[in-house]
Amino acid sequence: MAEAVLPTPRRDFVVRLARAAGVAPAVLGLLEGTGTALARAKDETDVAILGAALAIEHHAIALYEAGLQRGLFPAGLRAYAVEFRGDHLGHRDTQIAIMEERGARPPAARSRYELGRLVPGDEFVRQALQIEVYAQEAYTALMSRIDTRDYLLSAAFILVDEVRHMTVWRRVLGLRIY
Amino acid sequence: MASTGRRRLLRGAAATSLAYLARPARARATDYASAAEVLDAIDRLEADVDGRLAAIAREVAGARDFATSVGADHAGHRAARLRLRRRLKLPAAGPPFTPAAAESSLARLREVQQRLVHAHAEGLPALGNAAGVDLLTRHMVDASRHLTVIDLWMEGEEQGG
Repeated sequence: MAEAVLPTPRRDFVVRLARAAGVAPAVLGLLEGTGTALARAKDETDVAILGAALAIEHHAIALYEAGLQRGLFPAGLRAYAVEFRGDHLGHRDTQIAIMEERGARPPAARSRYELGRLVPGDEFVRQALQIEVYAQEAYTALMSRIDTRDYLLSAAFILVDEVRHMTVWRRVLGLRIY
Repeated sequence: MASTGRRRLLRGAAATSLAYLARPARARATDYASAAEVLDAIDRLEADVDGRLAAIAREVAGARDFATSVGADHAGHRAARLRLRRRLKLPAAGPPFTPAAAESSLARLREVQQRLVHAHAEGLPALGNAAGVDLLTRHMVDASRHLTVIDLWMEGEEQGG
């Protein structure tokens, strides 16, 4: 049995969102500590992680799109949302390119995401924070399973972006950032 | 809280990270040859950040809590890296690095902090050890958070004139 890679309270939160994002069962099992090891071949492991990462990025993009299209972010924070959406689009495209380079078929975005009740203002910023926390926790948990040098380096810089997004939204909401 | 200054900083940060993701630019990343080299670079940069942050905290009372918090994180990271060195049978860290001059420049602090974040990220592939990657990934999360706090701090400085 795989060792749980996240502490329990975080794990529950991450797993709930991972299911909603359509993360592959193998990686989902790894996150919740109930799955067996990922595939043995280097490329297969990375492809499973890339698929999970793409599911996360698709979900984040859908949330930011909804927020921007429906004017759910407070007016003064819209520029952050535009920038963070741009980052997630970049993460998506980079990981699609890596997957295609390895001959794998990247998962497409779902036609519809269950984003829950969309309440404008701080409540929506809280939702954006949740997806960033989820992304940060998931990338952090999966990094040490990445086998190839180029993807490990890319994933590291993606994680740096996720932490930045998370820290900015925490600051906006008056939560501790240090 | 959005401001032109912060947006500019965020754009800069995004451009930097995405530049690393782009294939041709990736060649610019430091190519560490060994785990020892990575850990030495992190030790040096972390001490540099500590020195610069302490110098700023001596002059700016509002910076003391942040400096204390970063110092505590770094102490934990150092101890964990020391254990990692032992586990990987690497030589102990060299003598503590002391910055030549304790500058109190926020811009220089940011620059060194960013180099610290990059040393973590670029060092991961050289570790060759899953537990080591996991450890330095978690440290990198803290370092990235510290970098963002510094960015927000600089924004505040800009807004305050």
